[in-house]
Amino acid sequence: MSEKKIHEDQKYIDGLLKNNSFIIQAIYDKFVPKVVNYIKQNSGDSDKAQDIIQDTLITIYNQASEKKLQLTCPFDAYFFLLCKRKWLNELKKSSNKEVTINEAVLSKGDEAQELAFETSVFGEKQALFTEMFQKLGTACKDLLTATFKIKSMEEVAKSLGVTYAYARKKKSLCIGKLTELVQKSPKFNQLNN
Amino acid sequence: MEDQNYILFESYLSKELSQEEVSAFESRLKNESDFNQAFNIYKELSSFLEHKFEGESISTAFQNNLKTISNTYFEKQKPSKKVIRFKPWQYAIAASVALLIGVVTFNNLSNPTFNDYNNYETISLTVRGGDESLLKTAENAFNSKDFAKAEAAFTELIAMDDSKNELQLYRGITLLELDKFDEADSLFSKLSNTASVYKNKAIWYLALSKLKQQDYNACLELLKRIPEDAEDYKQAEKLISKLE
Repeated sequence: MSEKKIHEDQKYIDGLLKNNSFIIQAIYDKFVPKVVNYIKQNSGDSDKAQDIIQDTLITIYNQASEKKLQLTCPFDAYFFLLCKRKWLNELKKSSNKEVTINEAVLSKGDEAQELAFETSVFGEKQALFTEMFQKLGTACKDLLTATFKIKSMEEVAKSLGVTYAYARKKKSLCIGKLTELVQKSPKFNQLNN
Repeated sequence: MEDQNYILFESYLSKELSQEEVSAFESRLKNESDFNQAFNIYKELSSFLEHKFEGESISTAFQNNLKTISNTYFEKQKPSKKVIRFKPWQYAIAASVALLIGVVTFNNLSNPTFNDYNNYETISLTVRGGDESLLKTAENAFNSKDFAKAEAAFTELIAMDDSKNELQLYRGITLLELDKFDEADSLFSKLSNTASVYKNKAIWYLALSKLKQQDYNACLELLKRIPEDAEDYKQAEKLISKLE
């Protein structure tokens, strides 16, 4: 990915990351109407569209901040594909019907297609990780929350009243436990195929 | 996977292994696929957790800002009113009024009367579970045009909770049907002075009340107060042209 040319629309990604209201507003003004129309034409309404769009922008934000997302295609196509994919998944979930994704407009090697796919997998993984994290025991949840919030393991150990070595070990084992939960979930296997 | 491996993952990620241990670790990554898969998930989870908790406050700020912009944007896209529960009968009223106007135009000699406009469609007040027997009584009575009974039920409901403008509006209509003009008028004019979504509806019904009382000038005055974006604007326009 790194040798590919970054598209000038990277400004939208950077704007989201900086929580720049002008950029966010511009995204709504320029790119959102198309998505709303699409969702309305495909058994949705404007409330549904609002949710899908909001979730999509949060996923993009998370990917940008965690994975340094770099846009190699126009934002328009990328954003539209992402929202569309999310909406079709939503429809599939609620209707149990087979929804065919018809991508006639875009060829298979399309840059936007690839990038949108990457982001949506990222988003689904995030949702899965969040869900699995909730399944951990309270002790693990507390320790991991403290570990990543406080950062210094010495302080974490002190705040939890345990030794540094114990806190260190516990951290690895808790993430280990989480790893196993993720590996065992059917959703993870779907994502990896 | 053994606990020992997770401890090893952590040490590797925090770069605490010696040169030799690192090469041993990396060769296991190459040769043991289970080890490799578990490590990749472990790494991804670490990065996920780090981002989740470290960036939490910045991310919350972003999400709040996004929500505000999104709400403003979508608010603008919507038609001016959001009275979802009302819709069926509003459309029905519009339809029946369109029909009536047809009839009235056909029968142009007659003056417009209140009875041209009191064709209410069925209302639906009960929405959730819980004790709603009184609401049901009000609803049924209104729908079967037993306005005296409906009025009693609405009065009782309002005595319990006078914050629901929807109930006030219906009570006004029942009063109007019962020819209790003073009460109806004062209720409608009170409602029309609130910022409620029923504000324009209240003006419309106040006008209809004047129509029923054959106070055509007052009726006209009121009809002219109905703004262009109101539900009943078109009906009001038509009625104005008939009265003038």
